[in-house]
Amino acid sequence: MTCFTEYKDLIQEGDLTLIWISRNNIRAVVMKAGENFNTRYGSFPHNDMIGKPYGSQIAIRTKGSNKFAFIHVLQPTPELWTLSLPHRTQIVYTPDSSYIIERMNCGPNARVIEAGTGSGSFSHAFARSAQKLFTYEFHQVRYEQALEEFKDHGILGDASKYGENVTITHRDVCENGFRIKQNDTTSFEFGEDEEIEAKINANVIFLDLPAPWDAIPNLNDVIASDEKVGLCCFSPCIEQVDKTLEALEKYGWTDVEMVEVQGKQYESRRQMVRTLDDALNRLKDIKSHKLEGVERRKRLLNETINESCGIDDGSVDDKRPSTGKTKFNPFGKGFRVKEGDKEFKWKDVTKVESEIKSHTSYLTFASKIVKKDRLA
Amino acid sequence: MDPLKHIVAGQHVILKLPSNNSKIVELKPDGSISLGKFGSFNVNDILGYALGTTFEIYYNEENQETNQTNKNKNPVGQVRVIDNSKDTSANEESRATSEENDLNSMDSSLSNKNLINVGNEIQKMTMDEIEQLKKQSVSGNEIIAKMIESHGSFHQKTSHSQEKYLKRKKQKFSKRFTVNYLSSSALLSFLLEKGDIQRVMDMSEESMGMLLNLANIRSNGTYLCMDGTGGLLVYFLLERMFGGDIKTKFTGKIVVIHENEHPNLDLLKFSNYPEEFIRDHVKTISILDYFEPPTVEEIQQGFTPLSKEEVHEMKGNRRNAYFRRLKLYKGQLEMVDYATKVQYDGLVVATTLSLPSLIPRLSEHVHGSRPIVCYSQFKETLLELSHTLYDDLRFLAPSIVETRCRPYQTIRGKLHPLMTMRGGGGYLLSCNRVIPAPEPEPVQAKGSEEPIETLKKQKTE
Repeated sequence: MTCFTEYKDLIQEGDLTLIWISRNNIRAVVMKAGENFNTRYGSFPHNDMIGKPYGSQIAIRTKGSNKFAFIHVLQPTPELWTLSLPHRTQIVYTPDSSYIIERMNCGPNARVIEAGTGSGSFSHAFARSAQKLFTYEFHQVRYEQALEEFKDHGILGDASKYGENVTITHRDVCENGFRIKQNDTTSFEFGEDEEIEAKINANVIFLDLPAPWDAIPNLNDVIASDEKVGLCCFSPCIEQVDKTLEALEKYGWTDVEMVEVQGKQYESRRQMVRTLDDALNRLKDIKSHKLEGVERRKRLLNETINESCGIDDGSVDDKRPSTGKTKFNPFGKGFRVKEGDKEFKWKDVTKVESEIKSHTSYLTFASKIVKKDRLA
Repeated sequence: MDPLKHIVAGQHVILKLPSNNSKIVELKPDGSISLGKFGSFNVNDILGYALGTTFEIYYNEENQETNQTNKNKNPVGQVRVIDNSKDTSANEESRATSEENDLNSMDSSLSNKNLINVGNEIQKMTMDEIEQLKKQSVSGNEIIAKMIESHGSFHQKTSHSQEKYLKRKKQKFSKRFTVNYLSSSALLSFLLEKGDIQRVMDMSEESMGMLLNLANIRSNGTYLCMDGTGGLLVYFLLERMFGGDIKTKFTGKIVVIHENEHPNLDLLKFSNYPEEFIRDHVKTISILDYFEPPTVEEIQQGFTPLSKEEVHEMKGNRRNAYFRRLKLYKGQLEMVDYATKVQYDGLVVATTLSLPSLIPRLSEHVHGSRPIVCYSQFKETLLELSHTLYDDLRFLAPSIVETRCRPYQTIRGKLHPLMTMRGGGGYLLSCNRVIPAPEPEPVQAKGSEEPIETLKKQKTE
């Protein structure tokens, strides 16, 4: 499958797609003719999607009511994939992952080490940008799940074909280092010139581990020796950073800097423009109505008195008070006004989403050049 | 030697100076480069080392004299490689001169209660003496060591303030520089440092990183781009797509739409991509040609390609003229394709043109499901755009995002966010281009609006 590696035009049978229901509800669905994608609003037949261009909106009539429901069928990208993962999993989110990739200059020449794989969300982003990704996971079940997923997504491979560039290895890198040899539990395929051991030569390292300082000493075996190597440790606690700094210094890493990345999303909203003049005029309006009412009641009282005195000029019905409603209502008081209603004046405003990720992790960057001698 | 890993002749690199400023230089073979008060060095002396290597300029008596003839010129010194690491696991003789090593042998005070500020007098060495030392070309560290020796109250400073003192003096006297690869982020920070904030539209590394990821920029895409920075955004795209590899096998392209008659990709002059590479991978079209392209017939009216035999019969000058026109003709046809036929894999925009009128039109040729990402220095312009896109069914979930990187003082035991940092960094609006379903039957027309809302706002589970 090439859904992550090539730009596709049409939705085809067997494609992994991301179905967008709402911002918080994006589902991974493999297209199979005859099957349905079910939501609480009704079923969307895959047959309606297959053959249409990616990005197509699919409409159905909802069950019961005579309304329409819509979804959008998208081609997966690493960022959309991250959004589609259940929020309970620990994920490196886009503000962090994109900064790490940019700062470590992770392009088509990058040979990346990632430990651990975790949900595999960051692996997808690395795989897109790098030449080669070696990812390590020490949890057996997560390793197997990620292996399956990378296989399904068509990104597993030795990079001889574009985009098929991920090797995953079941390993505790703190205990047993990063080298990949025959008989290891790994997706690596040992070829002719790599019969015994994989040539890793990494120049970008990303450590998302509880104790990166135990893995740092093991890096020397697998990093490129003839170029500058970049490293990033991803740790939530400042105590971890401190221990990491100690290890980095001990093992010859330089240019050490720790940073934090804060991402924020804004809602685009509208606030009604309510001027002082309008507010004044509204009060004046209310007041004048009130006065009118008082007058009317006075008149009515007088009339009743007159009536009871036997004077009847026959005009009672005309003078019956009509309940005076306020006419000037510039802000739509008492009505449900939809934000942006054309009847009113609005100002465009932004609002930060109600819950923000105020801390993800500290990012500790460092670099190292192993061989400092000169090439002829 | 690989120009992506090593320092090679003819390459543009970015130098980091002791003052923390940077400088972009072209490494002309046999030439020399002056770093002002930090000294000068010969280009040939640094070739072949890994990019990222730190050097120190030093002078010895002999080469000092030979240079004395040219008084205006900074004397060219020799360089040696500096090992910044404190690698204790390696046993080679290292010239590690960390602050700690420098200070280990020093007395320091637990507090600064005995420290009285008497200004310059505390330093027993005079300006002239220091200048003399510099002339004698002792290394920066030796000068600093002498200064500490003759500093009246150095031992009364706390160790923390001693470190600060050392750092300050090192920035002043050290003759070290680091030769780095000119990445897109390095170019951005160079421009920011130099005060070109307006030109780069107040961009930050983190905003650009996020833009590239959200736009799903990869080696094999064809992207539509508007770049108001004079080439910086295009350089970010190029680096992400090709990583500086001029022999790349990837066919990705960037189609740059420009608002002036001629494109401005001036900043690419710093890049290491040769002209042909840029010609192959970056296509430029003016907004006029893009939105109102000539028809193929119109182009063909102006020029008709001749048969091989006819060309063969032409004489030298005429033939050259013919080939020039043929090239122009082909370029025009290609341009028409980019303006009318190509479906783009993404749209990235950084421009000060008003976005609500621009983006919907630029998005016409963006393929379904592909990202649209706009950068702006100001949130308000994106806000306006987001309301416009909300009302247009061709755009899925426009979101305004902001990302800020907060650097820390990274010293063990003294970790805290830096006291000041650069503000700004701009905002991004991102969404996906989608293809609305055909209009439902008129009877249901009213109903069709509501479910979108309900679906947008509620979860289905």
